Amino acid sequence: MTSEGSIDRMFSARWSRRRFIGRSLGAGVAIAGLGPLLEACAKATVANVNPFPLGSPQHPVLWPISKDNKPIASGLTPESNATLKIYNYPDYLDIPTAVTNFEKQYKQYNVTVEISTFNDINEALAKLRTGEVDFDLFVPSYDSIGKLVYGNFLLPLTHSYIPNISQVWAQFTNPFYDQQWRYTVPYTIYTTGIGWRSDKVSEDISLRTNPYDVFWDPIYSSKIAVLDDYREAITMVMLRNGITDILTGNAKTLNLVSTQLTDMISKTNPKVNITDYQDIPDGTTNVSQAWSGDMINAQYNMPAGQSPSVLRYWYPKNGKGAVNQDIFVILRAGKNPVLSHLWLNYMLDLKNAKSNAAFTGYQTPHNGIDPNTMVSDGTIPPNLASVVVLPQYFNEGYRELELSPAVDTAWHNVWQQFKAGG
Amino acid sequence: MAEREAARAAPKRPARGVLYPRWLWPAFATPGMLWLALFFLLPLYVVLSIAFGTLDPVFRSPIPVWNPLNWDPSQFQFIFGHLIGDAGFFGPPMLRTFAYVIAASLVALVVGYPVAYFVARFAGRRRVLFLVLLLAPFCVSYMMRMLAWVNLLEVDGLVNHTLGIFGVTPVAWLSGQPITVVLGLVYGYIPYMILPLYAGLDRIDNSLLEAARDLGAGRFSTFRRVTLPMSRPAILTGLLIVSLPMFGDYFTNDLLSGSPRTSMLGNLINTAVSTPGEAAEGAAFVLLLFALLIPPMVYYARSTSRRSMVEA
Repeated sequence: MTSEGSIDRMFSARWSRRRFIGRSLGAGVAIAGLGPLLEACAKATVANVNPFPLGSPQHPVLWPISKDNKPIASGLTPESNATLKIYNYPDYLDIPTAVTNFEKQYKQYNVTVEISTFNDINEALAKLRTGEVDFDLFVPSYDSIGKLVYGNFLLPLTHSYIPNISQVWAQFTNPFYDQQWRYTVPYTIYTTGIGWRSDKVSEDISLRTNPYDVFWDPIYSSKIAVLDDYREAITMVMLRNGITDILTGNAKTLNLVSTQLTDMISKTNPKVNITDYQDIPDGTTNVSQAWSGDMINAQYNMPAGQSPSVLRYWYPKNGKGAVNQDIFVILRAGKNPVLSHLWLNYMLDLKNAKSNAAFTGYQTPHNGIDPNTMVSDGTIPPNLASVVVLPQYFNEGYRELELSPAVDTAWHNVWQQFKAGG
Repeated sequence: MAEREAARAAPKRPARGVLYPRWLWPAFATPGMLWLALFFLLPLYVVLSIAFGTLDPVFRSPIPVWNPLNWDPSQFQFIFGHLIGDAGFFGPPMLRTFAYVIAASLVALVVGYPVAYFVARFAGRRRVLFLVLLLAPFCVSYMMRMLAWVNLLEVDGLVNHTLGIFGVTPVAWLSGQPITVVLGLVYGYIPYMILPLYAGLDRIDNSLLEAARDLGAGRFSTFRRVTLPMSRPAILTGLLIVSLPMFGDYFTNDLLSGSPRTSMLGNLINTAVSTPGEAAEGAAFVLLLFALLIPPMVYYARSTSRRSMVEA
């Protein structure tokens, strides 16, 4: 018996083509009809209660320090012949200058800095959870601290190694998300606004009564983009509607957001990406939701012969927009805790921070940074002064803090619907 | 009766397995079967266990549930509950996926068939050169080829400049156009169509074509009555080979469109697996896609097995 014969018997000649297609269609209809059946026996999988506190300015969080995870002692000698491993987003650290200078500064210990990268925080957390990696330092957003503390990934900081914390804005020396800065120091800060090129857009978007409306204006159809980040996009729709509780799980609010996102697709067919720093300067999109740091980078992506003076960025002048930050933490699995502390101190030094910001485009919350100095020292052109994040933004603005699992799931459902085409 | 007796008396042909044990030839399939078990069946079970599994309450990463008795069908409930009706936002990308894949596969066939026909029939001594050229795209990564098109299709890119010569106004190819996605899929996968077509056309016996001509058939008639029917298995193979990866493709769409209006099933899977708490949903989509692709696979297997029987 040949194998072909076996196969043929399996799909015997009684299965005509017409019958086969008919059965396939029938199976498709049956699959679609499975919904109600499965719904009947479905059960919820998302926990409604957050397993750790969700920090906010109104409810500051003092994270615990477990008995088996004490801070290192003060005054220890840095590790010699060490490789300091940093786990970071791509292009989010000035390797040619910041890293090289750190190695030079501690050359008596023969330090080598090694950078590993991740594309999104979930990928990073999944890798850390394997327990197979021994990174010393990590750059998460502040909405991941709870997971990292409760997952026992972080080493509590020994403050005596980090005197340069005095150089950052006061609200970051005892932040609400990590009271007594037990585990974190600030890294970068950024706002989320709207970017465009004045020579491609005939209006000054900042003069609109509600600049967020531009994302629903058909004159920009197919030439507009929103960030491929569910928190940023949904928050933008909420702020457009004057909803300032950007951590809400209110069904009515999320329905409104969902409807307006779907409406956006039909009116302007937006692209959804995170290449604003490239697409705005090269004209691929005329208007884009944008991060302030990306707009600083945009000036370096202008086509040859064109001036960055045409770049524009809007963020509410009163500071009532989305403002966020990333942080540095030391990982417990790292092998160089002393050097890790020295790195944090090094990066908090204003000179090093400014040098690093010039490379990454992302500002740090240092006392010596303000719009005038950034313009005067050539970090940004005058037309982009609005990208500078001011201290008061962290009092007036809205932060995309960690959501409870149930609320997060509801937000993701809205986002999924949008990404599916509405 | 006498014939039957004679047949009984005739010496019997030596039975198979006289020189080799019966298990020897099937044993050659063992490495393949092990490979299949390790790298297909086992991962498939992992995907099943994730799709029907639970979530880590802190990290919201998937926790596979290995025991089918404890499987949770809520992911499938969510997907099927959102396929049709007012809340059916998964329906349009599903239909879109089928429309794009069918269109792209057919265009690939229409474009690829003449190329394969030319190489198989008329390339002569340059056949090797043409085959190398056909294989050349495989030397460049899919991502790089698509990135090249991003530059070419920009508003002030080479494509619009070229069209401008003929008075065509610049087209915003990259602004969420379905045609760009379909053509991107065609471009990305057309080598996979041409190669099996070439192999099928090259195997057609020239004497059959000559016989058709001798019997009075013209060029077109010979092609329609002999070449085309005999290349049907190659066409099926080509269609299957290009359409299967297209169904799961998300990269082409992300790069050449980026608009929700052109989202495909692959994009839904990609979004789900990269979202905390939704990896199980991504796994459920993978299984759904798998189920949807079984009918064409079965049809192909049935069609080729029937052909083999006829040829035997």
